[in-house]
Amino acid sequence: MAKVEQGYTSTPEEEEFELRAHIGSVWSGGRLFIGMYTFLLASLAYTYFYLRSSNSGNLWRPHHMTAPMSFGWGIVLATALAGVLAVYGQWRFRRGGVADWQVAGWTALVLLVGALMLQIWELTKLPFYPGASGYASSFIGWGVFNIATLVVSAYWVETALARGMRLRTEIGGDRPTLSTHPSAQSFRANVASMTYFMGFVGVGAAFFFALFYLI
Amino acid sequence: MTISAERPVATSGGATTTTERVSWTQRPGIWSQHLGTAIVGAIVGYLLGHWLGNAIASSYPYIQNSGQNVIAVTLGEIFGVAGWLLGIGALNYPLAKMAGRQPGKEVDVQGWSKYFRYSTNHKTVGLQYVVGVLLFLFTGGLLAMAIRTELLNPTTHYFSADTYIKIVSEHGTVMMMMATSIVVGPLGNYLVPLMIGSRRMAFPRIEAFSFWVFTAGYMVIFSALPLGGFPTGWTGYAPLQTQAGPGMIGYLFGFAVIGMGMMAAGFNMAVTIINYRAPGMTWSRVPILVWSLLATSALLTLATPTLFAAGVFGLLDKTAQTAFYVNEHGGSAYLWQNLFWFFGHPEVYIMALPGFGIVGEILPVFTRKPLFAYKVGAAGMIGVALLSFFVWQHHLYQSGINPDMRPLFMLTTELISIPTGFIYLVGMGTLYKAKIRFEIPMLFALALYFNFLIGGVTGVFLSDVPVNVTVHGGFFVLSHFHYTIMGGLLFAFMGGLYYWLPKMTGRMLNKKIGLWHFWTMFVFFNLTFFPMFIIGLLGQPRRVFTYAKNLQGLNDFSSVSAFLLGFSFLIFAFNMVYSLWINPQKAPANPWDSRGLEWQTANPVPSYNFERIPVVLSDPYRYSEPGAPAVADLGDAGLVHAAPQD
Repeated sequence: MAKVEQGYTSTPEEEEFELRAHIGSVWSGGRLFIGMYTFLLASLAYTYFYLRSSNSGNLWRPHHMTAPMSFGWGIVLATALAGVLAVYGQWRFRRGGVADWQVAGWTALVLLVGALMLQIWELTKLPFYPGASGYASSFIGWGVFNIATLVVSAYWVETALARGMRLRTEIGGDRPTLSTHPSAQSFRANVASMTYFMGFVGVGAAFFFALFYLI
Repeated sequence: MTISAERPVATSGGATTTTERVSWTQRPGIWSQHLGTAIVGAIVGYLLGHWLGNAIASSYPYIQNSGQNVIAVTLGEIFGVAGWLLGIGALNYPLAKMAGRQPGKEVDVQGWSKYFRYSTNHKTVGLQYVVGVLLFLFTGGLLAMAIRTELLNPTTHYFSADTYIKIVSEHGTVMMMMATSIVVGPLGNYLVPLMIGSRRMAFPRIEAFSFWVFTAGYMVIFSALPLGGFPTGWTGYAPLQTQAGPGMIGYLFGFAVIGMGMMAAGFNMAVTIINYRAPGMTWSRVPILVWSLLATSALLTLATPTLFAAGVFGLLDKTAQTAFYVNEHGGSAYLWQNLFWFFGHPEVYIMALPGFGIVGEILPVFTRKPLFAYKVGAAGMIGVALLSFFVWQHHLYQSGINPDMRPLFMLTTELISIPTGFIYLVGMGTLYKAKIRFEIPMLFALALYFNFLIGGVTGVFLSDVPVNVTVHGGFFVLSHFHYTIMGGLLFAFMGGLYYWLPKMTGRMLNKKIGLWHFWTMFVFFNLTFFPMFIIGLLGQPRRVFTYAKNLQGLNDFSSVSAFLLGFSFLIFAFNMVYSLWINPQKAPANPWDSRGLEWQTANPVPSYNFERIPVVLSDPYRYSEPGAPAVADLGDAGLVHAAPQD
């Protein structure tokens, strides 16, 4: 049976082609988005090392000034744990554990919001002013980028969870992990891309924690 | 999966129709979201942001001599852009998604009003971009006229030195922003799905977002003028950037906003090309324009984040008093130059590659020959895109670079001329022994090769440190990049418009007026910019409103030619108005006898592009080849064979 949409008909083969193209787009779009984000964060890392090696006026990091360590640990642990939970949730999701995925997802979301709050709070409690040194400027840059990253991550997790909750009624009570319904296939591709991104965010948070707090 | 040539034919009896509720924001009519609500949103957003900035930072130091609170200006700009996007409807779906909703059915709005809406139809977005980039081009061009007027006389001035540099800066920034989108936006969005046999773009909302963010960036950049302008040229170098007034916020935030649009456009384009190619559209059958846009999209997606980051750091220096670019506080002015040019040099190829893609489509059609060494051309484009990430420091030969590093970047810069040469030779090989039809698109394509040869050869000179040191910062460099960008990209774009507008609008552009346009543009372009090589070699620096008296003759010659070059654009504008509205001539379905897939669909193109998703059977360049296979199987419309042969 052909389906009429906006004045044109689609054969079942064409619908299958469109669905595969869509799922491929979600998959490759997710990876490309990570590539794009990598270049954004790499710009910050480049800035960090450029200013560190330039050490203009010996003002890279006078008196080894460091952002509050307790905040740093809190943020990185919450973010990395959210990443781990997303990966674990996806692992369970693939094996049919929808409820496990939801619990892991909501927990990850809470952790991401917590990390976001901590990051904002930390920026009000810094023991240096923003233009005090190269380190201070880079740290403010990281703070801003991290806020943006946490907002994007939380948005992606939340929208995936919200979609998952609606999906079951949309696909006639089937489990989204098993259903061949196009919406379910699209949803699974989105969850996979989101998980990949969350893993990337966790690794990124650990990398910049090492840069700004440990070395 | 392959869709076989024998496909089930849909019958009306077997069809099902779905009706869905349409949200008020999508309904046609004034009580919905459109350009008007976007303007209201932008104004309300700007005022709100400005008020908020003054409220939360009333004790913040005002920028010297401007009476402006920097926080208020920045928040005004940010909220203004947010209001613009909210008003046009760009945020409807992202917000609905938070409740787990899927996008509602799009209303296929008919008539002119669709061009003032957040349309997700790639053809509408393509035509919106045509108007958008031409608006950019003409306003940037007016600023160029102001520059050439000032340079008529070295001692009698129409502008102050301060105003002059701000005009130069605005001109450069506007033109560069326009040029990054001039092909990807209008032609890419309109043509790519048609050329690869797709009914749609991968992410139509991201595509629409890229256009409306692009328009927001245009307004942000022009907001710099009422805020006092910026004195840095289009490159925005620190420490001048740090010392500049509130107009600099327009530059930094404008680049960040346009950067978002560029990333969105490139992202959507790349994903579409990778995933939505019709069955049979293998990588060796992908049209050369699509290859060029894929390479460009990779650059847009990966290089632009660096520009975005650089802009954010600049804004933080202005608002949060960080010191990224302030040497005295542990930052470095050279950091800006590195970040800027890490984006800036790939940007050169973001501008060059689509131009070569366009002429690569035009040449086979008007020579009736296959595209020579097609695979070499495609490989050349990917090679250029890759190498473009390794050459940025040639912009820093004389600033912020260890002199020992110069030979390395001289080498990488000269290396990039090899894949560029491949692409150039593809054109030359196609032209070799060809019987050329000198239609207007072909004239523009040939002009590109003439202009780009001059621009490219001078570029090889400029990559050499000794020459670069001698002519750096002068009119020689200025002439070089105008030859590559205007002489290359803009001529290709014009050729592309004459070639594809019949498909996009269903109307032929008038040939006689087109010939006047071409010859005035080609002749006066060369008469404007070639003397600038000599002016540069004689020592005239860029961005300075006075010069040595003995250079007045050459400058006047260049200025008068520039005015006539500007006039050639008026001829083009007149041709558009005349051919599209005053005396419209219906375009034949395939006026140039092209084998390209985009020409095989109905004219005007239906909203769904193809009745059946085509099965591609061969590449589109097999002209004059006896027994060449059909281009594609269009299902109900049957096989499409090669266009009539000579």
